Amino acid sequence: MEPEPNNIYKPLRAKLTRVIDESPSIKTFVLEPEREFSFRTGQFIEVTVNGAGEAPFTPSSSPLVNDRLEVTVMKTGYVTEKMHQLKPGAYMGIRGPFGRGYPVERFYDKEVLILGGGCGFAPIRSLLFNLTAISQHLRKVTLCYGSKTPEDCIYKPYISELRQTPKFEVLRTVDAGNEDWHESVGVATVLLDQVKVDIPHSVAVVCGPPVMMKFGTLKLLKMGYPEHDIYLSMEKNMSCGLGKCGHCMMGKYFVCKDGPVFTYDEIRDQPDIWS
Amino acid sequence: MLLNYGSRKLIVLFITMMNRFAVEKKNWDKILEQLTGRYLIYASLKDEFGQDYELLTAEGLPWVVYNEPKPFTPLKNFFLPVRENVTHLTEPEKQRIIIGIPNCDLEGLGILDEIYLDPDFRDPFYRQKRENTILITADCFSTQEHCHCTSYGIQPFSDGKGDGSLILLDGMVILTIFSEKGASLMEEIGPLADWAQPSSDIDALLDEKREETRQLLRTAHPQLPDYRLTGELITGSTEDIWKKYAKECVSCGACAAICPTCSCFLLIDKPDFEKVKQLDACQYPGFGRVAGGEDALREKHIRFRNRYLCKYVWKPEKFTPIACTGCGRCIETCIGQINKNELFMELAKQT
Repeated sequence: MEPEPNNIYKPLRAKLTRVIDESPSIKTFVLEPEREFSFRTGQFIEVTVNGAGEAPFTPSSSPLVNDRLEVTVMKTGYVTEKMHQLKPGAYMGIRGPFGRGYPVERFYDKEVLILGGGCGFAPIRSLLFNLTAISQHLRKVTLCYGSKTPEDCIYKPYISELRQTPKFEVLRTVDAGNEDWHESVGVATVLLDQVKVDIPHSVAVVCGPPVMMKFGTLKLLKMGYPEHDIYLSMEKNMSCGLGKCGHCMMGKYFVCKDGPVFTYDEIRDQPDIWS
Repeated sequence: MLLNYGSRKLIVLFITMMNRFAVEKKNWDKILEQLTGRYLIYASLKDEFGQDYELLTAEGLPWVVYNEPKPFTPLKNFFLPVRENVTHLTEPEKQRIIIGIPNCDLEGLGILDEIYLDPDFRDPFYRQKRENTILITADCFSTQEHCHCTSYGIQPFSDGKGDGSLILLDGMVILTIFSEKGASLMEEIGPLADWAQPSSDIDALLDEKREETRQLLRTAHPQLPDYRLTGELITGSTEDIWKKYAKECVSCGACAAICPTCSCFLLIDKPDFEKVKQLDACQYPGFGRVAGGEDALREKHIRFRNRYLCKYVWKPEKFTPIACTGCGRCIETCIGQINKNELFMELAKQT
C-alpha cells in the first residue's frame, strides 16, 4: 500500500518574523513559511499556535507574494489570545490555502464597491493588493470601512497609500469619533449613502462582523445590486478546512470548501447565514 | 485445490466468476481459526453483555453470530476512531477482515467514503484503513425493535456491496465474492477446506428467509413516512415540534456517536504541531461558536433540528444518499428516550 504523500492534517512550519500592532486588540503577524506558499485572495488558511490550537484566517497580504504572508488577528478567543503573546522568532503552523476566494477576473471592466468593518479589513486588504495590481482592468474601486473608534482603525499607513492610488477611493467611518476625527461618524453602512456607483457596471464585496454583513447586504440590495453581484466572505468555525469536520456547515455548504466567498444568491436560502 | 489453476490473475477471475462457495460450518470455524493468526479479524460476537463487533480469537469462535441484525456500535468506528493522532501515517501490521456487517452499516459507510475519500482532499488515515480492510457483509434473518432499514430503501441483506458476504444456513456457510479483494481472500482460503456450490434447496431457503425479514420490517413500522419525503417534512416543519422533541435532549451527543453516518470531528492541537482528530457532534453546545461569540447553534432545539436537517436535507443535496440507514441505534441509545420515528410520524401528520 502506498502511503499518502500529503497528510492533509499536517501543518507547514512558518517562522514569525514580525508582529505589527494595528490597534489595541488587533495585530498583524508576518510569517515566512518553510517552503513557498501561494494562495488566491479571499482563500483562507488554518494557523496553528503550537500546542494551543488552530484557527482559520484569511491572509491580509498580497496573493502575488509567495515567500511570506500576513494574517491580521483580533484578540477574541483562546487561540488568538495565545497568538497575541507570540514574539518574532516563534514557529507557527499553516495549512491550506482552502476554499474559494474572490473571483477577481469577474471584476474586470467594473467598479468594485467594498464594504468592510473591524477586522474584516484583513481579507479586504489582500483583495485591494490584488486589485491594485490589475487596476488597469478596473473602472474604479471604492472602499467603505467602518470601525468602532479612530483608535480601532487598522492599516493606517496603507489607507494613506491607497488614497494616493489612482482609481481608488477610501471612505471611513467610526461609531464614536473624537476631536481628531474628521471623517464620517456612524455605522459602516452610512458610507453607502455617500458613494457614487454605476450599479449596472459594479460589483459589491462585503466583509466584516455578522451584523454589518447583514445590514450591509440589505442596503446593497436596496441600492439595486443584483444578488449575484454581492460577494460575501462568510465566517464560520472552520476546524479542518477540508469539507469534512462539519463545523462550518451553513445549510448544504461547507463554508471552508464551497466558500468562504459566496455570492448572496448562493446562500440566501440557507439557514442562519448571519450568525 | 484452487491454487492449481495457474497465475493469480486467472484464479481471481475464476473465483469472481464462480462467485459463490459453500462449506460446512465446522470447517469454516477451522478456517477462521487459521486466519486469526494472519489477519485481524473482527466479527459480530454475542455474549451475556450484548452483541458487538469484537476482535476474534480462537476462544471467541463459539460467540460469533451469523445472520443477526446490527451489532451495538456502528461500522464507522473502524474507520473513524473516536480519537486518532493524525500527525504521522504509519503502515498497519496486519490486514483486517470484518465479518458479519449488516447491510445498513455498509450503506452508512458509503456516505463516509464520499466525504473522506473526496478526491479534492483525501483523508490518508481513512483511506489507509479502507484499503487495509476486507468487508464481508451478512444477511439479517431477524430484526431488532428499532430496525427500519427498508423504510429508508435499504435491504436487510447483502446486495453486492463490500468485498463479499457470508450466510449461515442449514449447517453450511455460504461465501459470496464481490470484489478482487474478496477473491484474493478466497484464493487464500480455498485450499483450506472442501468447498462446494450452494444447493438449489439452500437458495430457496435463503429467498424465504429474506422475505420473512422484509415482512417483519414492513409490519414493524407501517406508519413511517416515505423516506423520500423526510427532507420536505423537516423543511416544512414549525419550531414547536423541535422544541417538543428537544425537551428531553441533554446534548450528550450519543445519537451522533452511535450513528453510522455522523462523522463530524474537531482537530485538537498537541505540542510539536501534533494533531489529534476527535469525533465531535453538532449536539454539543459550542459546536458552531465562532471566536467573536456568534453561534448559529446556540439553542438546544436548533442543534437538535440541525442534525435532522443535515441528514435528511443537506447531505442528500450534496452527496448521494440520505444520511440515515434506518438502523435505529439513535433511538436505542438516547437517554432522553427521544424516538426519531415518532418524530417523523408526527411531522407526517402535521402536513
